[in-house]
Amino acid sequence: MSPKARAVTVLLTPFFVLFTVVMVVPIGYALWLSLFTEQQSGLGFGGTQTVFTGLGNYLTALGDHAFRDGFLVLIGYCALYIPLLLAGGLALALLLDSALARARRFFQLALFLPHAVPGIIAALIWVYLYTPQLSPVIGALKSGGLDFSFLSPGGALPAVVNIALWEWLGYNMVIFYAALQAIDRSVIEAATVDGAGAWRIATGIKIPLIRSSVVMVALFTVIGSLQLFTEPLIINQASSAALTSSWTPNMYAYAAAFTRNDYGLAAAASVLLALAAAVLSFAITRLSQRTPRSRTKGRTA
Amino acid sequence: MTDRTTAGPATAAPADGTDRPGDRAAATPAGTPGTAPVQRAPRGTVRAAARPSRSRWLSKAAVNGTLVLAVLYTLFPLVWLVTAATKDAGGLLAGNAFSFEGFDLGGNLSRLASYNDGVYFRWYANSLLYAGGGALLSALVSVAAGYAFDTYEFPGKERLFGVVLLGVLVPTTALALPLYLLAAKTGLVNTYWSVLIPVLAHPFGVYLARVFSAGYVPGEAIEAARMDGAGELRIFWSIGLRMLMPGFVTIFLFQFTAIWNNFFLPLVMLSDQRLFPLSLGLYAWNSNTHAEPSYYPLVVTGSLLAVIPLVIAFVALQRHWKAGLAAGSVK
Amino acid sequence: MSRSWSRTSVAIAGATAALAVLTACGGGDPAAAGDGGHVTITYWGWAKGTKQTVDAFNATHDDITVKYEEIPSGGAGGYAKIANAVKAGNAPDLVSIEYPSLPEFVSQGSLQDITQYVTDDLKKQLLPQAVELTTLGGKNWAVPFDAAPQTYYYRKDFFTQHKIEVPKTWDEFRTAAAAVKKADPKARIGTFFPDDPTTFEAMVWQAGARWFATEGDAWKVDTTDPATKKVTAYWQGLLDDGLVNSATSFSPAWTGALKSGDTVGYLGASWGAGALKGLVPDQSGKWAAAPMPTWDGKPAGGMLGGSTWAVTKDSHQAAAAVKFATWMSTSPDAIKARLSSGDSSAYPAAAALRPVAKKAFDTGFYGGQDLYGLFDGAAAAIKRDWAWGPTGGTTNTTLKDAFGKAADGNGTLADAVRSAQDATVRELRKRGLKVAGQ
Repeated sequence: MSPKARAVTVLLTPFFVLFTVVMVVPIGYALWLSLFTEQQSGLGFGGTQTVFTGLGNYLTALGDHAFRDGFLVLIGYCALYIPLLLAGGLALALLLDSALARARRFFQLALFLPHAVPGIIAALIWVYLYTPQLSPVIGALKSGGLDFSFLSPGGALPAVVNIALWEWLGYNMVIFYAALQAIDRSVIEAATVDGAGAWRIATGIKIPLIRSSVVMVALFTVIGSLQLFTEPLIINQASSAALTSSWTPNMYAYAAAFTRNDYGLAAAASVLLALAAAVLSFAITRLSQRTPRSRTKGRTA
Repeated sequence: MTDRTTAGPATAAPADGTDRPGDRAAATPAGTPGTAPVQRAPRGTVRAAARPSRSRWLSKAAVNGTLVLAVLYTLFPLVWLVTAATKDAGGLLAGNAFSFEGFDLGGNLSRLASYNDGVYFRWYANSLLYAGGGALLSALVSVAAGYAFDTYEFPGKERLFGVVLLGVLVPTTALALPLYLLAAKTGLVNTYWSVLIPVLAHPFGVYLARVFSAGYVPGEAIEAARMDGAGELRIFWSIGLRMLMPGFVTIFLFQFTAIWNNFFLPLVMLSDQRLFPLSLGLYAWNSNTHAEPSYYPLVVTGSLLAVIPLVIAFVALQRHWKAGLAAGSVK
Repeated sequence: MSRSWSRTSVAIAGATAALAVLTACGGGDPAAAGDGGHVTITYWGWAKGTKQTVDAFNATHDDITVKYEEIPSGGAGGYAKIANAVKAGNAPDLVSIEYPSLPEFVSQGSLQDITQYVTDDLKKQLLPQAVELTTLGGKNWAVPFDAAPQTYYYRKDFFTQHKIEVPKTWDEFRTAAAAVKKADPKARIGTFFPDDPTTFEAMVWQAGARWFATEGDAWKVDTTDPATKKVTAYWQGLLDDGLVNSATSFSPAWTGALKSGDTVGYLGASWGAGALKGLVPDQSGKWAAAPMPTWDGKPAGGMLGGSTWAVTKDSHQAAAAVKFATWMSTSPDAIKARLSSGDSSAYPAAAALRPVAKKAFDTGFYGGQDLYGLFDGAAAAIKRDWAWGPTGGTTNTTLKDAFGKAADGNGTLADAVRSAQDATVRELRKRGLKVAGQ
């Protein structure tokens, strides 16, 4: 083994060992577990035994409308959340990038700060702010003639979207802003000289130039939405009327493992969730085609 | 086998050539990553000259006014958290959110410190251990791998890196339950390890490390060290890692945040309160508020204290998270 | 339907008889713990005052040391922790389990049969209904701690001011609900808790329903019997006519309504007296308690909550664990220690502890009313035929999810109860259990 090959081995091994242990093996184990179920006999007071069930758990999960509805919720969530996140993040980044903005450092920091708040704490804060008796916001909205209940079935989705938006708006705004900053200034100056207004420059030049960032943020947000758990969990605790205990697929899997004690079903649901992630990941790599590979090859200058 | 060091000068920017931290770092390896809005003045003056000052003043007000509104949205829940943390249970439930009715910050803090023999600060220490220790090891592992990917050529390299990228896309909570089932089988469940080990593999950190390595570690430096007869690992340790330090801090910061905020993994793994991180402890208290309203001030005050370290970190390390996000923006 | 009804009663009577025989012959001595050596047992619970209780035990016992760990309350993740720990083989010796969840733990094989330690002498000290609820398949699975007879709390000042009679029957309750609303359009007599199916279950229990019964070696699930239908229709009517609030139990929304006087009553249980006092301390002296309204005006009740102590499957310290559990449930020192941590109106299953508990609870909040006297009556009136099923998690989660929708006008309570029936039967079948008469 050459010294370089040895160095590569030493440097890469820790990561790939960990990668295997915490990402590959658990998926394999979940696949295995998902093929079994627990059976009882008599009145069930004699304990359980494990039996092979083939794809039984997958059929149970897919046949359960609570699980399928979870994916519908995710679609609805993405349909509402992603446009708001992109439009809001882009708008703020463009404003910040415009020559007129002041105190850019402050704005970046202040908009980014919610990202420092753990999701669970963000959810707790917002649930207070959603509760009519406690909230200064609901009261203000009400006196403004807007009587909206976040803790109701119709309000749950906006409630969750708002928490997510609060946590991620600034984060993604900074990503867009960084991409905008990287635009070659001469392009913009040329357009300005040609008499293009700020709006035209923003929509006609800047946004197309950072298109790849926008696409990546959108797709990663879709993947991230598969993880939706903490915020709805806290809302469910505050008001079970707003959303059910298996509102998202992840909540379903959690409830299967921890409320129904059905590990096989939980494993099957997790595998299906990971499968959905894999399909989306595949879509991402297809769509983006921007892996660092192109960089290595193109570096000849 | 061709190393990147022999493939050509390391002047090319990482990713697609528009990445700012890489650009700057390539020019000055020890330079600061991140964006520098200050340098943008010339553009403003060009446009200012083309417009009447009144309308310019209005546009300026509109732009900054909108930004201020957005900041109000992001900051007011945090302001609420601060005022709420000063209230006793009665004042909290009385609803006058921003007043100082029922002011009892001192009482809240002392109850927080004394409840259940000060278990809150044990959670605090645990969070620091999980996030600090986890992020440190994870950043080291990531930087080593990212450096290797950047510095060496070896068979199957890009295929292997594709696996890393795929790992970036796997939602961690989809893994948490399988991890739990595995940990239950191996008896690791409800131990420090059950929360610490899973966060060590951080594929995105490897990606970032490769990008940073391409930007910060010039091939010439490595080549020169080789000429001096230094071993490959020694070069990594004494040259690569040192030059990568700003990137290391960035990766550390992101991983620290992710672990500090992690909830699902400890939720499924831990049952012993003495092992809880803050997120889980506060969740447990919050579930108790239903039967015991005296928990409300504990949860709110505890939340405030739990947010402080990250707020300080983000204020102090602005250039690092900006650099991380800038690198992430072109992934 | 009537055929299976009578058969169910026979089955239950049979099970009870079998239990009597079994326990007469069985009977071990819990004091024989650890053969004289010193043992350490671990215990998981969450109730307030548990730490003080454990400290008191450790201070006075040399043969057993108890290590206590506080876990989240059962429904908030505590049960999941217990179930997982048993699966992982690192469970504590003793755990807290509420009555409705006990059969599920037993059927998962998470608990140990402790029949030999639950002596006749111990059973005689406890409320019979509580003992029955911890007896499954003729074996004892837990030591009851408290019973939780249903109790109605109301704002006496409001009722007096507006000359509203305190309701004794459900018909009167509806009349009173209308009167409350008329007296103050914002006020309501009570709250429907969509998140808490056990409150609803206590109501149907009181009305004479029996959701779970056994028939031979098969389970009989009946959540759509006439008694349940009656209760369902009644509450649907109250909700439809806007005569009760709907809010998550113990949420800020609910406590806020209590504070503002928009809610002037609380359909709860014995332990609710202490909770209410803690929630709205500034309303001291304005509240009073009454027996739960009944359908025919005669005393009847269900149980809402209540804890037991159970020994986990793999514990090698069952004798010591039961000894400690018995001490917690029957020793005056234990209850004193528990109540020292603050206001609790727990109603012990052990008759001997009730005077101690009564003395410890200051009823000034209720104008000095004799609450424990009231609880005594309510506890005696707890109906005896009710049993919980082995799918408590599924049944209650389904109910909770569907109640949430119904409370918001999405479907009805009857739909909710029907969906619970379906989900329960499906779950039983999935586990390989027999379901009778479906």
